[in-house]
Amino acid sequence: MTTNTLKQPRPDFINIRDFSFFYGKKQALFNISMEIPERQVTAFIGPSGCGKSTLLRNLNRMNDLIDDIHHEGDIVIHDKSIYDPHIEVISLRKRVGMVFQKSNPFPKSIYENVVYPLRVAGQNKKHILDETVERSLRGAALWDEVKDRLHESALSLSGGQMQRLCIARAIANRPEILLMDEPCSALDPIATVKVEELIRKLKEEFTIVIVTHNMQQATRCSDRTAFFYLGKLIEFDITQKIFSNPSSKQTEDYITGRFG
Amino acid sequence: MPTHENLPEHATGQNRFRTAPATLFMDRFMTVAIKAGGALVITSVLGIFVFILLQIWPLFAPASVVEARNIQLPDNNYSIIGIDEWGALPFLMEPDGKMLTADFETGEIRKIPIDFGENPPPKFTATTLNKREQDIILGTNDGRFFMVSPKYSSSESDGRQLITINPKASPAEPIGIPGQPVQTIAYGESGSQKLVVAIQPDGDTNRISASLYKRKRSLMGAGKTALAASFDLTPLIPGTPSRIIVPGTADSVIATTADGKVHYLVQNGDSGFSLAQTFSPFSDLENPEIATAAFLFGDVSIVFGSESGANRIFSLYYPEGGDKRLFGLTHEFPSLGARPNFIASTLRNKAFLLGGGNALSLRYSTTDSIRWEQGVPYDPVNAVISGKYQRMAVLDSENKLHFFEIHDPHADSGWKALFGKVWYEGSSAPKWEWQSTGGSDDFEPKYSLIPLIFGTLKGTLYAMVFAVPIALLAALYTSQFLDPGSRAMIKPVMEIMASLPSVVLGFLAAIYIAPLIEDEVPSLLLVAAGLPIIAASIGFVWSRLPIEFRKFIPAGREWIVFLPVLLGSGAFLWSLGPAFEAIAFAVTDPATGQRVGDFRAWWPAATGSTFDQRNSLVVGFMMGFAVIPIIFTITEDALSNVPKSLLTASMACGASRWQTALRIVLPTASAGIFSALMIGLGRAVGETMIVVMATGNTPIMEWNIFSGMRTLSANIAVELPEAPHHSTLYRTLFLGAMVLFLLTFAVNTVAEILRQRLREKFKTV
Ligand SMILES: Nc1ncnc2c1ncn2[C@@H]1O[C@H](COP(=O)(O)OP(=O)(O)OP(=O)(O)O)[C@@H](O)[C@H]1O
Ligand SMILES: [Mg+2]
Repeated sequence: MTTNTLKQPRPDFINIRDFSFFYGKKQALFNISMEIPERQVTAFIGPSGCGKSTLLRNLNRMNDLIDDIHHEGDIVIHDKSIYDPHIEVISLRKRVGMVFQKSNPFPKSIYENVVYPLRVAGQNKKHILDETVERSLRGAALWDEVKDRLHESALSLSGGQMQRLCIARAIANRPEILLMDEPCSALDPIATVKVEELIRKLKEEFTIVIVTHNMQQATRCSDRTAFFYLGKLIEFDITQKIFSNPSSKQTEDYITGRFG
Repeated sequence: MPTHENLPEHATGQNRFRTAPATLFMDRFMTVAIKAGGALVITSVLGIFVFILLQIWPLFAPASVVEARNIQLPDNNYSIIGIDEWGALPFLMEPDGKMLTADFETGEIRKIPIDFGENPPPKFTATTLNKREQDIILGTNDGRFFMVSPKYSSSESDGRQLITINPKASPAEPIGIPGQPVQTIAYGESGSQKLVVAIQPDGDTNRISASLYKRKRSLMGAGKTALAASFDLTPLIPGTPSRIIVPGTADSVIATTADGKVHYLVQNGDSGFSLAQTFSPFSDLENPEIATAAFLFGDVSIVFGSESGANRIFSLYYPEGGDKRLFGLTHEFPSLGARPNFIASTLRNKAFLLGGGNALSLRYSTTDSIRWEQGVPYDPVNAVISGKYQRMAVLDSENKLHFFEIHDPHADSGWKALFGKVWYEGSSAPKWEWQSTGGSDDFEPKYSLIPLIFGTLKGTLYAMVFAVPIALLAALYTSQFLDPGSRAMIKPVMEIMASLPSVVLGFLAAIYIAPLIEDEVPSLLLVAAGLPIIAASIGFVWSRLPIEFRKFIPAGREWIVFLPVLLGSGAFLWSLGPAFEAIAFAVTDPATGQRVGDFRAWWPAATGSTFDQRNSLVVGFMMGFAVIPIIFTITEDALSNVPKSLLTASMACGASRWQTALRIVLPTASAGIFSALMIGLGRAVGETMIVVMATGNTPIMEWNIFSGMRTLSANIAVELPEAPHHSTLYRTLFLGAMVLFLLTFAVNTVAEILRQRLREKFKTV
């Protein structure tokens, strides 16, 4: 990962090729093709139910946990198909971390929540865990609030704190790619600002894909924006371009709030 | 309101805020009905509880003994008191051979002459009573003895029982030195022989003579008894005996001497007697002299009272490793505080009355308990207890006869009998024992609940050892690894298994599994040890297989490959059993002298414990089957109810399915799993039919897996048909039920507390 920062970022770090996705018979994504650049923030926007989360969850194959799904097309990260049978899903998920729409801390202590990715990777050295906890919690702008109660249950936190804890957990093992599904939907404006700052900081190291319903947020912290509608990718471009001069009428209607 | 103008009436009228009367009525009615129903349930549960407590309470209650009346007798030197079975008409013997009766109902005193068939009437110098028949044995001043049978009869008149006495004397028989007065006489009678022992002065010393009478078998049935042999016991007894007792077996003599020693003489066939043992019951006391001694019912234990009031019981038993039955101290009671004048025993149980120095004390030998004790304003000198242990008559030094009513239906019960180690007659040490019925009249029921509690725990333990790993692993596999299609089939099948009646399982266990396991233990051992190893290795090999092979089997359907391999290797291991038996469990066949593999013979030889066909292994196996579905379904539910978001969170952190199951699912579901275990435990503790049918119901106390057990619940099922209403057994069964209830209650309470803790700890958002 550190070597990555030295190299030139790749414009096609995540390459989605003609990707369609089905929940049973119901098709949720239609022939999506896009290239997500390395170490930039890419925002997915679109009306509710258009398939943003579905696509996001496919990037680390979280959809595998759902019964009766299948896909067409391919997703290639760093020149390797994530559906290659030789690829272990587990290591894929270690590379591609995820923050969910709904916060989902484990019923464990704050400390154990954060170090969970390290523990499952076999890391049990106390000084490494301690260091990770502090770094990740600082990264998620939560350190000052919880540093005195690290060993209390994570469920004693407020909703916004829990979401930041989940972010801390997602970055604890320093994945290459961080997927964030509406990470700020449960946060107050101050925490939101903190997370947005965090996103801007994280993109120096990580490739970030973020789903958001907040247009301001997309403009504030993303480099590129993809607009989805009814499972199709309508437009994908530099964020400024999308918000100032969208090429599609649908995109324009959506971002100006004249939708549906 | 203008805006409402075009709305219909029902949307604007005040009626739309009303609650319908029917709704209100229903609401109130249901509130009352539910409250009443709840109260009813609680009351009936409490009612059952109170009922059981009422049934149990008498087991722990002390005896009730009250003086009903007393009768002043004419002044005389009464030698013995006898009494009829019902305690209505006791008799006393005057020194001149006359009998006096005192009627309990009327208070009437009557002198009953006895016809000895001699003129002048014989002069009596010694008397004793054969307690079992209430026969009076009278020794004369000229070296003979008479036996008088009281010949009680009972008739009904005006709805009241009328007891009459009509004593008959049999002709005199000579004993010992002819013409010498009999100073002391003792008598014992068994079905086949009689033994009479007399002490007579012989010059400066005393002579102890014994006459043995045997019943002649004739063609006409039981014949007359005739003198078989006479013996001079004097040389056998060191010192001068002050007292002799002959037990009901009529084959031994107990002689006590003035120095506080007891000499135990046993008969060696027809050839005579020999001294088997000499012991001193009170050797550690300042005054070791024996004040009084008497056999307890059953004639195996002797109660001794010392001059100072100490009270000890010595019983015959085979000492550890010994081959001769000798007397040893089995029970010790608190001192009476004064010299006891007499010991009166009953013909019903091991109770005895000790009296002297203005105190009466009713004691129960087996349980070391004082049933009743009271200071009295007179000095009791003699007493008798009726055969039914309902009434007793105590004679005081002023010749007043005091009648007491005894109400002590559960004398043999109490804390000690039910839960403590008890030294029963015949055993060589105090033990926890359950044995409610026995062959003989003087059999003493043993009601210790400890072996039953032990059996319950043993059965539960083996069932849980078998069931818990299987059920938990199966539930974990089903909920976390199996594909949904197969899962949808497994759950209902398990639920059907849970509803199998346990009598079917018990039947299966007794008829099929027990004989099967009996012959195939080595095979079973191989499979039990081998299968987990094989399963683990299959898993290992599978995970190392290249993806090209694995991709044909969708995740969650690996069992398609595993199951045939597992079954195949299981069958293979099973078939290796006989070979394994021949190598590992070889014993020498006593018939042929060859070494053959035989686990059934090997186990007792190697471990010293028994091998029963119906053993704990069978019970554990079958009860496990009854418990597995319960634990499985509840655990599976608990595991499946772990929020999906936690699974995805864990997966997204790069955890494998196994890591997720272990680190997230199991702890989160721990409260539910715990409940499942406890409910399974409850089922195993209370399980009855399987245990009744699949074990020998032997109330033993050993953890040996190849022996049986008797559980509390099985005990109730087995004994209840035999338990007379309100008998000690009947109440003890209720106590067993109560203990069972308390056991499960305790387990459940602890479990619930722990479960709440777990739930608090692992509660999810
Ligand atoms: N597990 C599932 N099974 C079946 N259909 C699903 C599942 N998850 C999502 N869908 C369907 O797929 C479509 C896309 O859903 P998705 O969750 O990706 O929408 P979204 O864009 O994230 O919406 P939102 O902004 O509300 O989160 C929806 O129509 C939804 O109903
Ligand atoms: Mg979504």
